[in-house]
Amino acid sequence: MKKRKKINGVRVGIGAAAICSFLCLWAFATREGTTLGILMPGPVEVFTHLVETTYTKVGPLTIWGHMFNSLRRVLVGFTIASCCGILLGLAMGWNRTLEAIFRPIFELLRPIPPLAWISLAIVWFGLGEGGKYFIIFVSGFSNVTINVYTGAKSVDPELIGAAKMLGCSERRIFPSIVIRSSVPYIFTGLQIAISSSWAAVVAAEMVRSTNGIGWMITAGQSVGNMEQIMVGIIVIGVIGFLLSTFMRGVESKLCAWSRVQDS
Amino acid sequence: MSKVIECKNISKTFESVNGDFQVIGDISIEADQNEILVLFGPGQCGKTTLLKVIAGLEPATSGTIHINGKEKTKPGPECGLVYQTTALFPWLTTMGNVEYGPKVQGVPKKERRARAQKYIDLVGLTGFEKSYPIQLSGGMRQRVGIARVYCNEPEVMLMDEPFGHLDAQTRYLMQEELERIWQTEKRTIIFVTNNIEEALYLADRVLVMTNCPATIKKEFKIDLPRPRDYTDPEFLRLRQEITSIVDPAE
Repeated sequence: MKKRKKINGVRVGIGAAAICSFLCLWAFATREGTTLGILMPGPVEVFTHLVETTYTKVGPLTIWGHMFNSLRRVLVGFTIASCCGILLGLAMGWNRTLEAIFRPIFELLRPIPPLAWISLAIVWFGLGEGGKYFIIFVSGFSNVTINVYTGAKSVDPELIGAAKMLGCSERRIFPSIVIRSSVPYIFTGLQIAISSSWAAVVAAEMVRSTNGIGWMITAGQSVGNMEQIMVGIIVIGVIGFLLSTFMRGVESKLCAWSRVQDS
Repeated sequence: MSKVIECKNISKTFESVNGDFQVIGDISIEADQNEILVLFGPGQCGKTTLLKVIAGLEPATSGTIHINGKEKTKPGPECGLVYQTTALFPWLTTMGNVEYGPKVQGVPKKERRARAQKYIDLVGLTGFEKSYPIQLSGGMRQRVGIARVYCNEPEVMLMDEPFGHLDAQTRYLMQEELERIWQTEKRTIIFVTNNIEEALYLADRVLVMTNCPATIKKEFKIDLPRPRDYTDPEFLRLRQEITSIVDPAE
C-alpha cells in the first residue's frame, strides 16, 4: 500500500504543476502591453480581488454571503429534484403501468435545457426564490430520474428469484432487492445532478436576483467589472469541484460493494 | 420410506412466434430423505429448466410437484437453489447473504446470526463474514451460496451446475467440500451437472437425461463407498458405461 500512496503523491504533484503552469500561462498572456491584458485581469489581480471580497461587500454581501445564498438555492432545488427523481425513476422502473404513463412525457421534457424554462419559471413562480428553485430543480431532476429508472430496470431477475426462494414476500422484493440494487445508479444520478444544479445557479440567478454567485457575474457584466466576473467564475468552479468530491466520498462509502476495494 | 420430493409427469413447452418448443417431455422424478440425486445430461438439454420448474421459478406446462406431500406452485423457502452464477446479493456481506432467508422470514437477530455463523463455519468461510461477494474468489462465492441455502433449512436443495464456472482445480476441491458438508449435515439434494466425474463423485443415484426435449434415459444406482475415489476401477467402469449411453451435446 506504500506504493499506492507514492503513486497518489506523484499524481497530486503533477496536477498541482499543471494548474501552476496554467496560471503562469494566464499571467503571461495578460501581461502589460498585450491586447488580452487590456480586456481581462491577470491571476494576481483576480486573486487579490477574491481576497478583498471575503471582507468587503460586493453589492449587498461579502463573497461568503453570496456563496451561502447560491448554495442554499442549489440545495433546495437539488433536494426536491432528488426526491422526485428517485421516486419517479423507481416507479417507472418497477411498475409497467406507471412506465407507460410517465415515460413519454418524461422523454419529451428531458431534452429541454434548463435555460429554456426561465420565462415560464417567472410566469409560474414569480421573480422571487420560487423561480430560481424551479430552474435548479429542472436541471437536476431528469438526471436523477433517468439514472434511477435505468437502475430499477436493470435489477437482475435472478436476484429476485433467489430472494423469493429464500422466503422473501412479493411486497418485500421492492425495498429488499430493487431499491438496494439501484443504489449505485441513484448515486450516479445524484452526482450528475449536483454538478448540473450548481452549474445552473448562474441561469437561476439571472431570474432577477440581488445576491448569489450568479448575480455577482451578471452584475459584474453590467458594470464591466471583469475582476468580479472572474472571481465569480472561479468560485463556481471550486465549489462545484468540492460538491462533486463530497458526493463521490459519500458514494464510495455506501457503494463499497459495487467495486473492487483495496484491502 | 416416504419421498421428500415427488415430481409427476412434468413437461415444459416454451411458446414463441416461431412455434412451440418443447424442452422437457414428461419427466417423473422423486428423491428420498438425504439422498443426492444427480441429473446428468448433455449441455443445453433442459436440465436447468427442469430445476427451475421444480423450484417454482418457471411454471410447468403439465405435471405436479409435491414436497413432503404439499403441492408446489410458486418459489418459496421449502426449496433452496444454489445457482451456477451464485446469484449472491452483491450489496450484502457474507453474513448478510447467509442470514437473508431467516431475516426476511422474521427469525430474531440473535438466533439467525448464530445459525448463519454455524453454516459460515461449516462451509469454511470463518473470518470472511464481513467480506462482500466482489472481494471473494469464485470458489468462496459458491461456498456462500451453499451456506445461504443451508441456513434457510429447505426441505430440498437444488443445485444448478454450481461448480460449472470454476476452474478444474477449484472444481475438484469444491466437490470434496460439498461431500464433507453433506456428510456433516445431510440434506436431500437434486444436483444438475454435465460433468460425469462430478456426478459419480456425489450421487446416490444418477439420472441420465436425453437431449431436448429432455426425458430420462436411464437410472444408475451408485453404491460405491464415500468419499469416492476417482480412480477406483468400479468408478471408472461406471464412468465408461454412462458416457457411452449419453447423447452427444447439440
